[in-house]
Amino acid sequence: MRDAIAAEWWKLCSVRSTRWVLAIVAAFVVLLLALAFQEAQIFDGLAPGRREKLALRPLQEMSPWVTGLCMAVTGVLTATSEYRSGTIRSSLVAVPRRSRLPAAKAVVVTAVSLAAGEAATLGTFLGSRLVIGDRPFVDQRAPLPHDLPGFGVEAVSVPVFALLGLALGLLLRSAAAAITAVVLLWHVLPLLVFHLPAPWNERLGSVMLGGLGPRAAGHSVENSIYGGALPPWGAAALMLAYALLPLVVAVSVFARRDA
Amino acid sequence: MIEVRELTKRYGGTAAVDGLSFQVRPGTVTGFLGPNGAGKSTTMRILLGLAAATSGEALVNGGRYAELRRPMLEVGALLDASAVHGGRRAFDHLGWLARSNGIGRRRVAEVLERVGLAGAARRRVGGFSLGMRQRLGIAAALLGDPGVLLFDEPVNGLDPDGVRWIRELMRGLAAEGRTVLVSSHLMSEMELTADRLVIVGRGRLIADTSVRELAERFGRGVLVRSPRPAELTGVLSAAGGSVEDDAGGALTVAGLDVADIGERAAAHGIPLYEVRPRSASLEEAYMELTAGSAEFEAAIS
Repeated sequence: MRDAIAAEWWKLCSVRSTRWVLAIVAAFVVLLLALAFQEAQIFDGLAPGRREKLALRPLQEMSPWVTGLCMAVTGVLTATSEYRSGTIRSSLVAVPRRSRLPAAKAVVVTAVSLAAGEAATLGTFLGSRLVIGDRPFVDQRAPLPHDLPGFGVEAVSVPVFALLGLALGLLLRSAAAAITAVVLLWHVLPLLVFHLPAPWNERLGSVMLGGLGPRAAGHSVENSIYGGALPPWGAAALMLAYALLPLVVAVSVFARRDA
Repeated sequence: MIEVRELTKRYGGTAAVDGLSFQVRPGTVTGFLGPNGAGKSTTMRILLGLAAATSGEALVNGGRYAELRRPMLEVGALLDASAVHGGRRAFDHLGWLARSNGIGRRRVAEVLERVGLAGAARRRVGGFSLGMRQRLGIAAALLGDPGVLLFDEPVNGLDPDGVRWIRELMRGLAAEGRTVLVSSHLMSEMELTADRLVIVGRGRLIADTSVRELAERFGRGVLVRSPRPAELTGVLSAAGGSVEDDAGGALTVAGLDVADIGERAAAHGIPLYEVRPRSASLEEAYMELTAGSAEFEAAIS
């Protein structure tokens, strides 16, 4: 298994798409910090009473959300690029035990996306704090050690998206189909659910993957399209299910399919 | 050693491989011949555990491929040379393959050297010509220094230099005592490369033979040229041969061998200009054997 993981790591590092996706994540973090700078300027221009209504957190929370999409694409590509190029046969000739190959992919994808997710999320949080300096934004008054763990937990949604992407890639074998499916789950479905009649919008909105990260971190999802019906531990358990169940299904289909 | 026993693979109602059995022994190049769609690639994919057999078994060194712990150390395979990620560099392509089987980087450099790609190691595979990809695929097969090698249509699309290089490589590998199975739909190529032939058509075994046996089986009498053909015909017919007049004044004699013909002609003082056993070319033999087994036959009008 260690050899298979090392081989998957080599594969991921030796294609350009991985670097492109990580560059996009980094560029997005820079963009968010620029927007934080902009908000700081706005903050300075506001009357004291209106400053209480200017929040920075929605900006900070965009980081794990967008990184989740980027790493889901990486997860998709680790599977579909092998089908597109035909490398899947070489991979299975090298690692013939059927569950071992996707398991090795899952380990590598989890590690890379967790690292990218934590780096982007914590980087955005700490960077934006640095950018605003000592301006007392209403949602930034808690000391760093108080807020930091929450963002650390929220970033865990990134590998969940990545594993979901991997599972969809293995199942659908087409990058176009799998990325479309990821985007549907990432944002289109939650938007549709939000427009359902109450109480279904709240109920179904609570189980949408995009809202589970903030919920698991104990952050409020008010004023978002997501529902907050789940307690943090419930949201965490559901995230785990999102990561593992599709993967288990994908691996069992993969194990029975001729390559 | 490769053993295929009663192997069957069905896709829906059609059998791609139908009760196929044969063995491939070490120290020889065995040609796996058949028209397109005869089941050669399917058989190889089952041997490598890529596809599951409907029934029967395909064993490598007495076991199933999927159960090998480090399969590349025992079996090397070239399936489809174009099936590589174009964005990866040649060294990286071989690198991850080697890593997956616990093979070191030094060996990667060695096989690149052996197939003549050392200078292109840092280039992306997407820019490789078909011949270079074929060499890269062969380098991958050689990585684990395996005793069993499978090559699926390795000379497809290669230039004459490339074809000769692969031919010599395979003969060299067999001479080192390895088991080499090479599939092809070209008899002319196998005639030069293979010692033994496993010929299949429509998923079934047509012949399991050596190149020489096949040539003998398709012998076509003796060609004789003489300035006195009418007289010679009389003499040979009297000796029990059946003689046919060929176009161009030559005779084709069946039932007598070269020595018989020479002695009888000498006894009657008939000069001979040419006496030569005639065999069908292996190409003809192959066409005859596989007639009717091509998957898509052109309608001849």
